[in-house]
Amino acid sequence: MSEPRKPGMSSLHAVAPVQPSDSPCAVDIDPVEYTLRKRLPRKLPKRRNDVYVNMKTDFRAQLARCQKLLDGGSGHREICVHGLGLAINRAINIALQLQASSQGALQLAANTSTVELVDDLEPEDPDEVAEPLTRTRNNSAIHIKVFYPDPK
Amino acid sequence: MAEAMAQKVCSSTSLNPAIQSLPPILCLNNFRRVRRTEDGGPYPIPGLATDFLHMRVREGSKIRNLLRFATARMRGEGKDSHGRSTRQVVFTGSERGVTKTITCVEILKRKVEDLHQVSKLYYKTVDEVWEASQHGAPDVTMQRTVPAICILLSKDPLNPHEPGYQPPHSVSTPTEDTGMCGATLWPPHCPTVAKRFCREDESKCVT
Repeated sequence: MSEPRKPGMSSLHAVAPVQPSDSPCAVDIDPVEYTLRKRLPRKLPKRRNDVYVNMKTDFRAQLARCQKLLDGGSGHREICVHGLGLAINRAINIALQLQASSQGALQLAANTSTVELVDDLEPEDPDEVAEPLTRTRNNSAIHIKVFYPDPK
Repeated sequence: MAEAMAQKVCSSTSLNPAIQSLPPILCLNNFRRVRRTEDGGPYPIPGLATDFLHMRVREGSKIRNLLRFATARMRGEGKDSHGRSTRQVVFTGSERGVTKTITCVEILKRKVEDLHQVSKLYYKTVDEVWEASQHGAPDVTMQRTVPAICILLSKDPLNPHEPGYQPPHSVSTPTEDTGMCGATLWPPHCPTVAKRFCREDESKCVT
């Protein structure tokens, strides 16, 4: 999770961004081709018991990492599993697997949120006079707290 | 944690979430899914009222359609509601519909303000009957355990000590600030940046 991933690049015939003054109906198709470059979500400072799940690392490795954080003499009482976009499913699976393998000792608490992501659209043809555009979009995220409940 | 391969006419548990698609045996024999029954038992959310609105979100559901219906009901509009608005709505989704469920919930929270949220994760068992296209081949009954999510949005306050509870956050109009409000930063608990940008989102930071 610590290595930054290459910004995903793909070419697309971009639509011109909707200006605030435009009516929210038709969007013109821009003839200039743009290269889409996704910006990374903002940098993640994390505590020791935070695990950010992605789709690149092997599932079992991420699960083992979470398990190791909970186990052992110096295991944390709670860890937090985060997932963004497509990794939401994987984060949920990891959390449910941890709960299943603990024979019901662990409890889950899930919180959801929205994360803003920014895309940079760069013009493909350097001769074309076109400005790089940015487009923001929202994505869903989940934060699952996996913890040993306090004995009452 | 071993992955169990689907056997014919028996139960299987797909533990590896990377294999969300079907086991190869079914695809090879050109099976066709005939029946699919979910266990429609009571949802794992305590304190549900009797007249809640249940929105089933699937992978192919259109968010626009779902939300148009849900917001109309929550606001008490439309000819069906007779001026009464529902106070609780439950969104459920499983497998690949989970992400869409969360997205629907997040968008609805923006459209209808001051909603309390409780999210629950659980495994759901699904029975599927697959019929072979070749006549004479036996049908396959499969029992799968799939991850599912159940999210309750309620106008009435809920128990804040319930695991998975999220209070309603105060929403300010996005055009007035930098546009950061209404969307949290990633990760959620960056104290210095959070204080600078999303002062009212601190309640959403996971502590």
